[in-house]
This record gives sequence, structure tokens and C-alpha cells, in this order.
Amino acid sequence: MIAVFVRTAIALIVVVLVSQISMPVVAQAPSGQTGQTGTWTGPRLADGQPDVQGTWRPQISGGRSLEDPGVPGSVEEQANRTKGLSKKNPSRVSDPADGKVPYQPWAATLRQHQIENENVATRQDHIDTQARCFILGAIRQAANANEIIQTTGQVVLINEAYHNFRVIPVDGRPHVSSRIALWGGDARGRWEGNTLVVEVTNLNGKNRLSHDGDFLSPTARIVERFTFLDGQRLTYEATIDDPKVFTQPWKITVPNTRVKPSEDDEPWESACHEGERSADLMLQETSSK
Amino acid sequence: MRKHAIPAVVAAIALTYGLLTAGGQSSTGSALRRTADGHPDLSGVWQVINAAAWNVQGHHAQKGMPAGLGVVEGDDIPYQPWAATKQKQNYEKRMTADPEGKCFLPGVPRIMYMPFPFQIVQSSDRVTMLFEYVHAIRYVHMSGKKHPEGHIDWWLGDSRGRWEGDTLVVDVVHFNEDTWFDRAGNFHSDELHLVERYTPTGPDHIDYEVTVEDEKVFTRPWKMRMPMYRRKEANVQLLEYECYAFDWEKYYPYPGLW
Repeated sequence: MIAVFVRTAIALIVVVLVSQISMPVVAQAPSGQTGQTGTWTGPRLADGQPDVQGTWRPQISGGRSLEDPGVPGSVEEQANRTKGLSKKNPSRVSDPADGKVPYQPWAATLRQHQIENENVATRQDHIDTQARCFILGAIRQAANANEIIQTTGQVVLINEAYHNFRVIPVDGRPHVSSRIALWGGDARGRWEGNTLVVEVTNLNGKNRLSHDGDFLSPTARIVERFTFLDGQRLTYEATIDDPKVFTQPWKITVPNTRVKPSEDDEPWESACHEGERSADLMLQETSSK
Repeated sequence: MRKHAIPAVVAAIALTYGLLTAGGQSSTGSALRRTADGHPDLSGVWQVINAAAWNVQGHHAQKGMPAGLGVVEGDDIPYQPWAATKQKQNYEKRMTADPEGKCFLPGVPRIMYMPFPFQIVQSSDRVTMLFEYVHAIRYVHMSGKKHPEGHIDWWLGDSRGRWEGDTLVVDVVHFNEDTWFDRAGNFHSDELHLVERYTPTGPDHIDYEVTVEDEKVFTRPWKMRMPMYRRKEANVQLLEYECYAFDWEKYYPYPGLW
């Protein structure tokens, strides 16, 4: 039993670590592939939706940071990064132009505190919400590979690693009651040519958008645009409007490519749960240092 | 009288077509929805209506626990003597010892009869189950591939499905020993082997039967059975239950914020 616990705990830590070691660095800035809304010329499903099913992966994946995303894969490259020798990845923040999330001063202070404590957690709130296995939500799930499955009137996004899913109705139904607040918010989509436009409201403002502690408020409104360019490329854009936390609306851009399907690929269980044991281990490790 | 003749014929044809297309062993009544490849289309939001998550056997109500008629065939779980003792111990300390209280993934079949809805998404080589409870995802692989070699300690096991007529038959192995069947302390080992049978009995009902086999814990295989109901609300959608393993609400996104 103890052996099982230790084995599982180690596996969970590995999952958390691996999640931060993401895809190889790409030199191209995301601005090279911004969304170009247009008509959809590809296949369609019975309900008229463009058929965009398959797995899509960000060119720079991982939820470590919005402004400095991704970590090079090899140990050597990681060491270089720590020494400041590695080339930085372009910021996911495409607006404002400086690539910085436009926090109000009080909010910037909170995030800075989290950046300084995320790897030396001494309090419950130092542990990232992804390490807790809370729902990633609109923006953070887009930092990972997603499988798209479409059913009548719905687009389903599945992220295997943290067993996260989003079910996005595209059948014109209204949002849920404003009394309901959700980690992932309430998503409503519609197709505009080759672009799936999703409006997210009813957020609970609890989750963080990265390991660096980015966050938004319960009154935030997110508009996402999934633009499918040529069957092989997808540009994900999200505009965040949240005057409570930010000085202006801002936008992130995440270019994705289609993952070539393989007969050997199967999604498997990724055991991540809210009673996450690795979270407590993180606190214990710090206290034993 | 005459003006009703055509609708009556149409209805008769529709009924015949319905019975024909419903096919399968247990299907009766109105027509099943079908996928392009002719199998029953189980897509949608489903939920059981029973108290099995608290106790799979018949039980009367207690504080915080609704009464239930039981879902175990014969209402008897054939524990080996040591296991019967352990189940009693589990029951005594259930309010603190139930792994579900720690918000771990609750295992199969328990996750199927938690008091939360789940959504089935069907594609040609997979049946994917999305759960409101702790945003769990269960993949039932329909590609015909065998279970991966093991043993693998998974909370929800490895699920391999196939169609037998209109019945989805799912074989599940590779479990850990850290989940219970219910709040009453009924348990299994990592040798757990399940055979689930999902038989649609109409467009809005599934007859769910699961055979439980575990030579480490039981003296013979045993069965549970219950209906699953389609959630019919026009605005039905999964919401969230993130569980409460600790009082996270006061820590996130930052203490004292909102």
C-alpha cells in the first residue's frame, strides 16, 4: 500500500514536471500566423459545422508562463535557460505590443509574489491550480494539445494530460444563469466561416492562467477565436476584457498545428485529482529544505 | 375517417421501421438513434437515479444518506471471510476513510452511478465519457486492440469495448486498489475485472449491467444492474464539481480576493 502510494506520488510529480517541459522552442514569433478569417472550404458535418476533428498542438505548449512560455526540452537546454543563455520564446500576449499582461499595479504585485514563490511553496496558495488539478479553463487549456470531437450542435475539446474537457454548444442556446460561477466558465460558440468564435462568461475567477500566477476576475469576459487556416494550422486567439484587474483589454495568440494521426496513439488515463498528493509533497519538500 | 388513413399508414410504417432498426436483443419501443455505422448512438447526457453511490446494497436512510433498494443481484456480495471483516471495518470508519472523500478519481463502476450527470461522446474508434464529477474522462477504446500489458495502476482502469448487437460490452482491467464501490466500504483489489453491458432499451434509457470479478476479494463473480436515464432538460449541459479535498475557496486565485 505504501509502495503504491509512493509510486503513484512519484508518477504524479513526473506528470507535473513533464507538463512544464514542453515542445521544442520555435524561433518564429506567433505573429507570423495570426488568424485570417475566411470561408471554410473543407468537409462539413451533418449539422453543417466545418469538420475540424483531430488533435491540435500549440507550437509552444505548456502552462508555465504567458509572457515567457515554454521550457526547452533537454536538461542541457534547461540549464542554459536558467543561466539566461537560452533564447526566449515569444510571448503569447500579442496585444499590447510589449507582450506583457496589462495588470493594474495591485494585481501585478500579487502575480510577482507568486512568481517568487511558485517553486518554494510555503503556503497553500503558492501551489498552482494546475498542480491541484483544478479545471484549466478557456485560456490555459489552449496552452496544451487538444483533441477536437464534434457532435451535433457541439464542439468538444479534450486535454488528456489533466483530464480536462470543454463542451462548447454551437446551437445558439443562451448562457446559463448569472448566478452560476464556474472554473471553466460557460462557453457559447458560433461558426463564422473558418472561425469558431466562443464567448466565455460565468467565470468564478479562481483559477490561474499559468504557473506564474496570472489570473482574472469573476466578471471577466473572454472571446476566443479558433481560426482553422488550411486543415493543418489553427490559430487560437483570446481577448480578455476585465477592467477589474487590467488597465486595458488584452489578447493572446497561440499558433497550433494538426498532430498527424497514428494508429498507435490512444489517450490513456492521466490521474490528476483535486486531492492531489503531489501538492502536499511540494509543501513538505520546501519545509524540509 | 378517410383523412386519417395516410397518417395511420405512415405511423404503421414508422413503427415497423422503428422495430426493425431497433434490432438487437433487448431493444423495444421507439427507435434508437444510430450512428453512421449503424450502432446505437449513445451520445448525450445521462445519469442514474438511485442511492448506489452511498451503498450498492439495500439500505435504509441515515443522516445525509438516502435510502436505496440496492443494485446488487440477490443483494449479496460474496466476500471471502477476511474481506467481509475488512468491509465492516471500512463501514465503521467510512466518513473519513472513503477515498472519494479525498477527491481521488472514484473508480469504475462507482463513477457511473455517482449522483452527477455524465456525457457520452461517440466516435468511430472510441466512446468517450465526460463526467461532471471532478471533470473525469473515461476512454472506452473500440479499435479492437487488446488491453496493454500490465499490471497498470489506473483509477478508472483500461476499458476495451465492442458491440454485441445493440449492446456495448466493455471489458475493464488495470485498476489500483485505492477505490471503493460506495460510501459503505464495499471494496476490491487491484485484480478487479469488470464486464459492463450497456443496452439501450429506448432512445432515453440504458440498461446498465456490470459483472464484478476479483479472486483476491470475492468467492465468485457478482453483478450489479440499474437503468441509466437520459437527462431531458432542453438546456441540459454538464456543470462542474471540483470536489473539496481542502478548503480551496479561500486560497484562490489569491487569499482574500474574491
